[in-house]
Amino acid sequence: MKTRLSLAIASLAILVVHGFVFYQQFFHKWETYQTSYFDQARTLAKTDGEREALASRRPKIEQIIATQFGSDRVDRCTTCHIASDDPRFKDSPHPYKSHPFSEELGDRLVDGKWERRHKFADMGCTVCHGGQGRGLDTFYAHGEDEFWPEPMLGFVTQENWRGDLRPKLKGKEYMQANCAQCHTDKNFKATPAVSRGRELFTQKNCYGCHKIDGISNGTLGPDLSEVGKKWKVDYLYESIVDPRANIKTSFMPKFNLTEDETRDLVIFLKSRRGFNYAETTLDRYRATLNKGGAVPPAQPPAGQTTATTAPAVKSGEQLINDRACAACHKIGDKDGGIAPDLSFEGLMKDEKWLIGHFKDPRALIPDSIMPTFAFPDVEYSAMTTYLMGLNKPPSLGSPQETYQNLCMRCHGEKGDGHGMIATYLDPYPRDFTNAGFMNSKTDERLAASIKNGVGGTSMPAWGKVLSDDQIKGVLAYINQNFTKEARREIKPRDVPEQNPVAMTTESIARGEAAYLNRCTGCHGRKADGKGPNSLDILPRPRNLLNSQFINSATDRRLFESILYGVQGSAMPPWIDYGLTKEDVGDLVNYIRSLNQNKKELAALELVAMCH
Amino acid sequence: MVYRMSDNIQKKSVLSVLLGFPSAVWTSVFRNDLPHTDLGRSRTSFTNFFLHIHPVKVHKHTLRPWFTMGLGLISLFLFLTLTVTGVLLMFYYVPSTTQAYDRMLDLRGSVAFGVFLRNMHRWSAHGMVAVVFLHMCRVFFTGSYKKPREFNWVIGVLLFLLTLFLSFTGYLLPWDQLAFWAITVGTAIAGYAPVFGNEIRFLLLGDTTVGQEALLRFYVLHVAVLPLITTLLIAVHFWRIRKDGGMSRPAEADIVVSTEPTSKTVSAGAPVMAFAGADGINVIEKKRYGIQGLVRGPFTKVGNVPDNSVFSYPNLLLAELFVFILTILGVLLVSFFFNAPLEDPVNILHPPNPAKAPWYFLGLQEMVSYSAFWGGVGIPGLEVLILLALPYFDRGQKGIGVWFSRERLLANTLFMTFVFVNILLIIIGTFFRGQNWEFVSPF
Repeated sequence: MKTRLSLAIASLAILVVHGFVFYQQFFHKWETYQTSYFDQARTLAKTDGEREALASRRPKIEQIIATQFGSDRVDRCTTCHIASDDPRFKDSPHPYKSHPFSEELGDRLVDGKWERRHKFADMGCTVCHGGQGRGLDTFYAHGEDEFWPEPMLGFVTQENWRGDLRPKLKGKEYMQANCAQCHTDKNFKATPAVSRGRELFTQKNCYGCHKIDGISNGTLGPDLSEVGKKWKVDYLYESIVDPRANIKTSFMPKFNLTEDETRDLVIFLKSRRGFNYAETTLDRYRATLNKGGAVPPAQPPAGQTTATTAPAVKSGEQLINDRACAACHKIGDKDGGIAPDLSFEGLMKDEKWLIGHFKDPRALIPDSIMPTFAFPDVEYSAMTTYLMGLNKPPSLGSPQETYQNLCMRCHGEKGDGHGMIATYLDPYPRDFTNAGFMNSKTDERLAASIKNGVGGTSMPAWGKVLSDDQIKGVLAYINQNFTKEARREIKPRDVPEQNPVAMTTESIARGEAAYLNRCTGCHGRKADGKGPNSLDILPRPRNLLNSQFINSATDRRLFESILYGVQGSAMPPWIDYGLTKEDVGDLVNYIRSLNQNKKELAALELVAMCH
Repeated sequence: MVYRMSDNIQKKSVLSVLLGFPSAVWTSVFRNDLPHTDLGRSRTSFTNFFLHIHPVKVHKHTLRPWFTMGLGLISLFLFLTLTVTGVLLMFYYVPSTTQAYDRMLDLRGSVAFGVFLRNMHRWSAHGMVAVVFLHMCRVFFTGSYKKPREFNWVIGVLLFLLTLFLSFTGYLLPWDQLAFWAITVGTAIAGYAPVFGNEIRFLLLGDTTVGQEALLRFYVLHVAVLPLITTLLIAVHFWRIRKDGGMSRPAEADIVVSTEPTSKTVSAGAPVMAFAGADGINVIEKKRYGIQGLVRGPFTKVGNVPDNSVFSYPNLLLAELFVFILTILGVLLVSFFFNAPLEDPVNILHPPNPAKAPWYFLGLQEMVSYSAFWGGVGIPGLEVLILLALPYFDRGQKGIGVWFSRERLLANTLFMTFVFVNILLIIIGTFFRGQNWEFVSPF
């Protein structure tokens, strides 16, 4: 009996659930919308025939199948928005309201009647508005579902988007990103936001780091050619205003953009989908031929004249402002927190270096992340002139003040090499708390590094900014506060001043063999300092292809580092592992040969071939 | 001898034949009227195709709800639900990368009961994985896999693997981001198998990446190959339950057979049967053996011997119906309140971070994060092998048919550890792993 009772109760429960399920599945909102539309239309109808036709209409799913825009689109929007093309409903509330006519969209007034330029029956709705055409429930149809990649542009913001950004992501303008899928003309007048965004992309130097097919060629940041297909507007907006929100390691600077500028950039980026509906395959082919074509030179700022000294300085300053150099660099009070301080550039660099560095930063600092910008030569020289004018040495009192103003940005508050911009520098700034290293070098050597800089790295020559006494003071300060260990007696070592082994192809070959045998674990097979163990080692192994550095190092220094190791680093004293001076000589010859300029190397190869 | 029709069959009028037509059809289909006597019930159970899988009489111990908790039945009913909803979904589904996702959207918007069918199918599938696993735990903890049920345990393990594989192949079909990346992860795990890893992966995907070929293969496996094998194995599984003497039960629940004459016996020579009653040991003087009893030993009782069994009709049938209704109720309720997930359409360029396998494989994925081979292939492979071989090594005959029997403390502890470790790994993989598979706290 008990079984039968529980059976009866369970069956009843099933019946009740079925009731709910049937109710949920059979009563759709769109049916009520449609019946209400039929009723309203009947009162507005002019003829009896029309009234009868309306009376016999029953609610059904309406759909438009648009076949011309990529894969077939099934748009059921008109199931609810059934009066979208019925001008009598132009002042009704949603969802009955009919779509407005506007000249901007190309609609025309002919004999007092509006004619649509974009016919709904051909185009559907989602190709312009976004949203989920197949959806029959507002939540899904409008793309409010967080998983739908194309919420209605400018109208719908999804629940999981950042609250502070959501209001900024509303507005008709966003739809221009969809207009641009067909109207690809750069200056199409109905898509001003896209055009402005495109200009900003060049003006604000985005192109230096990012690639967009046919527009730019940057490699430092992600390729944005299909960014509009990949991301929704909230992500694009957030990535611009707060680059580190999603990718913690991003070093994209925050640019000083107004809200309108950001929005236009977002709209432009949203229009980048990898292909456009209007493009023919031939167009696309041409675009691939033209891949990363020449970057259009940015508009020269108004008022720039030929390079006479006085106005050039001014325009250089203006250029550097316009180009947002301070988004990464520090110049005076402005600090982007990513790249080195340029405030005393005129003292530390010369014109030749600056121009050369502008044109190819990695020729001078091989592991620099500075993008190569394609500015016209006049602008380079104007900017160089401006930078050369930054030549007033700072008035610094105590060594502590000096350290905090000049050194701390890279070497860090605690002197541990973890300064504000340290992660963006390669090689990393020296860690002064590493007593093993610091105390294995003579004061002269350390002072020389400060005074003359370190070739091929971001350590500039401070010699013209600081006096010798100031340098000594800073060194003492570093030793006292960071190294915190009494200077040790440095043992004299038996190291030749000059490489005793002559530079011959045989010697280089022996050196290469020894290198492949002993050194690749850390320095890498390419000798670029990126061997398999390199990531576990701090300080990182040297990039031996950094010609600026290698060529500035004396034979004596290379011999000492290889034979006796580098204290405080993972470089072992190879003399303990059986390397003789001759072996090291071969190695030095091999390393030098990697950094000889190409002409010399070719000549050497030619000689080898003749042998 | 001359045979005349009229001798045996009375001639009937056309009218009476017509009038008798419905009942003639009825009796030809059902053979018996609704039974009112035990004999009639036995006959009905015996002659009805759908009932003949049941024994005519069933042991009272088997009907205890907390002994089996109906887990095997729930698995079966979920499988039936899946079959029915699956067939209905097949009418709307196209295994094509360009259409599959759109069909999902159509199910949600414009197919009557579409979203509900999908919910039922989805949640039943998840439920079946869980319930089949719990069923396996029940069988272990009650020691029910022991002789003579060893091979049925093996079939059960195979059914568990098939359930996982069925669920896994179904996971890809919606062709959304969740499906695509879960299968990418899952098949990558298969790729870690030694020697043939990549070949297995290629065979499964029909390509080097998840794409149209993989979708088609998974579809065919999901709707034809695997269900057929599963149905066959379920049939064998059930058949063997009966042939192995019904559900396991403790020896005390059975009638004790003694060939020795006891003090109270009078007749010599004939085997004597005793059974444990409430009031001590009764002795029955006569025993008639059923044919199966003779072949297999005294498990199945036939005849009028007093024993601890009751008629399956209606006792067992009502219990089964109750479990069925509860199962369906559960599925309906869950499907009413929770929608099956449907994420973004597949975007090969944009993997979610982290990309997670279906929850029942997250234990594997968690282990894979430590070691690709051992976590993905080595340890799970060993686990399956141990499960398969288990009844042939754990051969003690004690503690059968009792939950957590004292005599099986070691075995139960070991198995409990196995269960807990696996569940723990799944929980870690599900809730404690965030971007880049880093440890995160869900709280």
